[in-house]
Amino acid sequence: MVTDDELIAQTLGGRREAFGDLVERYERAVYHLSYRTLHDVEEAKDATQEAFFKAFRALTTFRTGAKFSTWILSIAYHACCDRLARRKRYSYDEIPDAADLAAGPERLAVQSDEARRLRAAIDALPEKYRTVITLYHLSGKQYDEIAAILDVPMGTVKTHLFRAKELLRKALSASVAEVRD
Amino acid sequence: MDDAALDRALFALELEEPPADLRGRILAATVYRPALPFKMWEVWVIGTVMALAVWLMIAVLASVPDAGLRLASAAGSLLERLARNVSPSILGWVVVGASSAFWISQFTLPRAACAPYPLRESIEQRRA
Repeated sequence: MVTDDELIAQTLGGRREAFGDLVERYERAVYHLSYRTLHDVEEAKDATQEAFFKAFRALTTFRTGAKFSTWILSIAYHACCDRLARRKRYSYDEIPDAADLAAGPERLAVQSDEARRLRAAIDALPEKYRTVITLYHLSGKQYDEIAAILDVPMGTVKTHLFRAKELLRKALSASVAEVRD
Repeated sequence: MDDAALDRALFALELEEPPADLRGRILAATVYRPALPFKMWEVWVIGTVMALAVWLMIAVLASVPDAGLRLASAAGSLLERLARNVSPSILGWVVVGASSAFWISQFTLPRAACAPYPLRESIEQRRA
């Protein structure tokens, strides 16, 4: 399989289509992070497109040896932060912490109960914990990668993750108790 | 629910499915986006030169009395001379030349002829 570095070298060498393979590899992860952060399908689409556009333009500045996944997720996260800041500036309303259920009702309906409850509990988390949990899910326990994406110390990532998991556990136990009652 | 069970549940969650049109939008904005005819530094240089030229013209027009009238009469006399001296055959050749230049500019040269990728790749490999 062609590595990310090889695809980047090919893109920089003039074969622009190689960037399409990178889009194919990371589109889903970037969209997932954007959607989980912004809770809006259209905005998540725009943020994903913006992230890939910025990465494409700045590909010459990409450090060889660095991970493309970390870089693109970091760009996407900052694009989402800009959008959230703009939303806060232009709206007096609080950013909704509930999921946009219209985004995929069919999919939600077929998901198992546990997955649905977990997703709802993640959506109800405060923004900073939600992002850390989303990245933990995406990067698979790579704390250093999460710290690099969010541009925060590793200790902060661990603290946020610990609190996020605690909140999730509480929320899940509460929802299980509700179901039993 | 303990930590391991929560981790298992988290990693079992499926990622959000991107909308169908998203990849097309991204590719249109990146890979298939037509390249700018100029590089950014060229745009800056051309813009600066044009701004200087406009500033110089305004400075000249403002410093010379009746500059507008003089300029108009000079342009008029130049056109008059041209009309008197240019024969239909010269005009014909000028038209042929201009249309040839236009049609040549419409052709796209094959990529390999202007930027041979294997060559660039080998240069980069040697550099690495």
